[in-house]
Order: sequence, then C-alpha cells, then structure tokens
Amino acid sequence: MENMGGKLKYKLSKWVVIVLVLSGMISFTGCYYDDEDNLYPQVGGCDTSNVTYSATISVIMSSNCNSCHSGSTPQGNLKTDNYTDLKTIADNGKLWGAVNHENGFSQMPKDRPKLSDCDLSKIRIWIDGGALNN
Amino acid sequence: MMMRKIFILLIVPLLLSFHVKAQDDLMDLLGDQPKTTDYTYATFKTTRIINAQSVENPAEGVLMFMIQHRFGRINTGAYEFFGLDQATIRLGLEYGITKRLSIGVGRSSYEKTFDGFLKYKILRQSTGLSRMPVSLSGYFSTAITSLKWEDMGVENRTNYFSSRVSYTYQLLVARKFSNSISVQLIPSLIHKNLVPTGEDKNDIFSVGVGGRVKLTKRMSVNAEYFYTPTGQISYDFNQPLSIGLDIETGGHVFQLHFSNAQAFFDRGFITETNGKWWDGDIYFGFGISRVFTIVKPKTIAEQN
Repeated sequence: MENMGGKLKYKLSKWVVIVLVLSGMISFTGCYYDDEDNLYPQVGGCDTSNVTYSATISVIMSSNCNSCHSGSTPQGNLKTDNYTDLKTIADNGKLWGAVNHENGFSQMPKDRPKLSDCDLSKIRIWIDGGALNN
Repeated sequence: MMMRKIFILLIVPLLLSFHVKAQDDLMDLLGDQPKTTDYTYATFKTTRIINAQSVENPAEGVLMFMIQHRFGRINTGAYEFFGLDQATIRLGLEYGITKRLSIGVGRSSYEKTFDGFLKYKILRQSTGLSRMPVSLSGYFSTAITSLKWEDMGVENRTNYFSSRVSYTYQLLVARKFSNSISVQLIPSLIHKNLVPTGEDKNDIFSVGVGGRVKLTKRMSVNAEYFYTPTGQISYDFNQPLSIGLDIETGGHVFQLHFSNAQAFFDRGFITETNGKWWDGDIYFGFGISRVFTIVKPKTIAEQN
C-alpha cells in the first residue's frame, strides 16, 4: 500500500505538469471583449450622401453577396454581380426583403449576421432613388 | 414562460432524486450497512449525448477516434437528394489520461474550426458505503476558427488571432435513474472574443438538458436541447434540439441523429444554430467512434 501511495504521487505530479502546460497552450490567447462595430468603426460614421451603384452598391454586393450569387450556377438562380440582374430584384422587392430579413423572404446573407445598419441604409437609399445605374 | 420551463427542467430531476433517496433510507431500516461503494457506470454509451458532451470519459489509457458527420438540410428537396449531397463533418481524437481526466482535439469543416478540450470527473454517482446522487464533470473547450477573414466593408482592417478564438465552460450533472434512463443537465458559459455587433454579448449563458432511454441492451434513444435566453445574440438563431439513436457493437458506437444544428463543436451548435424544426431545416447525421487501448490497464496482480 505504501508503495502504491508513492507511485500515485509521482503519477499525479507528472500529469499535473502536463495538464497545466496543455491548458496554458490552449488558453494563451486570453479573453477579449471585442465587437466588430467598435473594433472596426465605419470611418466618419455612416456616409450616405453619395450612394451610387458603381461606388457603393456593387462594393457591398461583392463583399457580401457575390460569392454565392454569381457565375453560371448562382444560388437561388439570382445574380448580384451585375447591374441588370440586381436591378430586377431591387425593383421587385426581393433584394430589400432578403437583406432586411422581412417575413416571407429568405434571410441574407445566409447563415451570417445581417448587414450593418450603414450598408442597409445605403441599399435603401439606392432602391428609393430608382436603383439607377450610376 | 421560458423561465418557468427552465425552472421545471431544473426541479423535476431534483424531485426524482429525492424520491430515490427516500427508497435508500428504507433500505437502511433493514439493517445491513454496505461495506463497499458501487460506482455507477455507463450513464451514457459514449462521450457525447448527441452534440453535447456526456459525463462519460474514455477509460484510462484508451484513445478514441471519432467521426461525426451531418448531411445537408432534409428540406432542400430531391435535387439535393434531401440533403445527402452536402456534408459537414468533424474528426476527433479523445484520450483518457487518468480515470477522471480526458483530453480531446478535433477539426470541423464548419467554419474550418479546430477545437480542443479537457474534461474532468469531479464526482461519480455511487451507492453503498459512500453515496452520491449524481455524477459531475467539469468541461472546458477552446474553438479556433481558421476561415479566411473577409473585410466586411472595412478597408485594410487589422484582424487579430484572438478574434478567431472562443471558449466554452460547462458543468455536466448527470444521474442514471435506472439501467435504462439517464438525465443530464448542462449549465454552460460561452465566451467569444469577437462578436458581430455591440448588441451581442461576448459571454453567453445557456443551459442544456439531455437524456437517454435504453430500448435494448445495445440501443438507446437520446435527446438533447439547449436553451439560451434571448437578448444575448442579435443575429438569427434558434435553440438546438436533437434526437438520436445510439447503437453499440463491440468497440464501436454508432450514433444516428436528427438535429437543427449544423456544427459539432460547442460554440457552433449552442449559439449558431439557425435551422427551424417546423420548417424542415433538419440535418440528418451520424457519429462513429472506435476505441484503441494505448496503455494496457494493470492487472490485479500487478497492482498489488
């Protein structure tokens, strides 16, 4: 029995070291309390003064939508990477319903957080202005 | 309403355990003080209920290899062969360092995530000389997402490694009520280093409940549900509910299941489930685990 006690002690200390090292490795990056709105503020707040298709909307589309909605077999058979197709869904309400997560529309971007309020208001302004190719 | 549900979930198993205790006291009246402690074993068939960890660990010196696989949503229709054309998987290894401590690593295709965890048995349910109504394990896991960053509309944004990391802390409280019925409660805290908006909480509280009912010696029906109080998450999210069937065959355990969650690691299925059961956003999946004995257990002769 005494022997066993000695063994156990040795075994325990060896494992304690290993576990401490491992858990240290796992948690070395530490805890942060960041959110994207604060960590990456939109420079100068939300600038909605010059919303155009080429400079504003096509940029939002390419960083959030085109990865699925482009090419020869786009998701949902909808393309957002060109003006003509985007104009169609802007006019029939599908674009706004999807990005603003309205009832009866498939919520976009799929499985990802909703677009920022700033991007949403830019899209709204563009649609309200007639979804021009400017 | 929701608070009441949680309350019931917490209280019912407690009441049940008092009932069992009363029976034990009755046994005492018959005399015969027990001289040994019988530890309850096989509360669950394997280390997972379905997605969540169970109180089970691989035995000391045993390495477990695990393949967890989920197809796509069954409501995607005949064109996607009801989801069978798509796949999300996790490959994992778990090892029993001691009788009480196990360690595991895994890689999920969901968000290309690596995960690692430690699980420690704090209390073991037992009868006899020393009695304990429940088994209790502590669980800590880290998940590191390795997806490439997207700038999300901010030019030249600086991305931090820490933003890829999230942690999960859980207490696993389980009781095996009889040979066929086991219930487990899982109070959980999930910490995300980076969340999408200021409305999202970095620390998310959730409580899970899971259980199994054995149909035969080798088969059991399992179910599991996590409730995360609303107001902590701003994006679209649903509470994950999973129902499964465990089949044990020798060194393997097969787990077949239906779930509205897609991910297999804690942060993923507890806080990022977006499927709705009633809309048919259900994923069919399975898990296979196989154990390998790395360090042979000592025989009784060697121990003495």
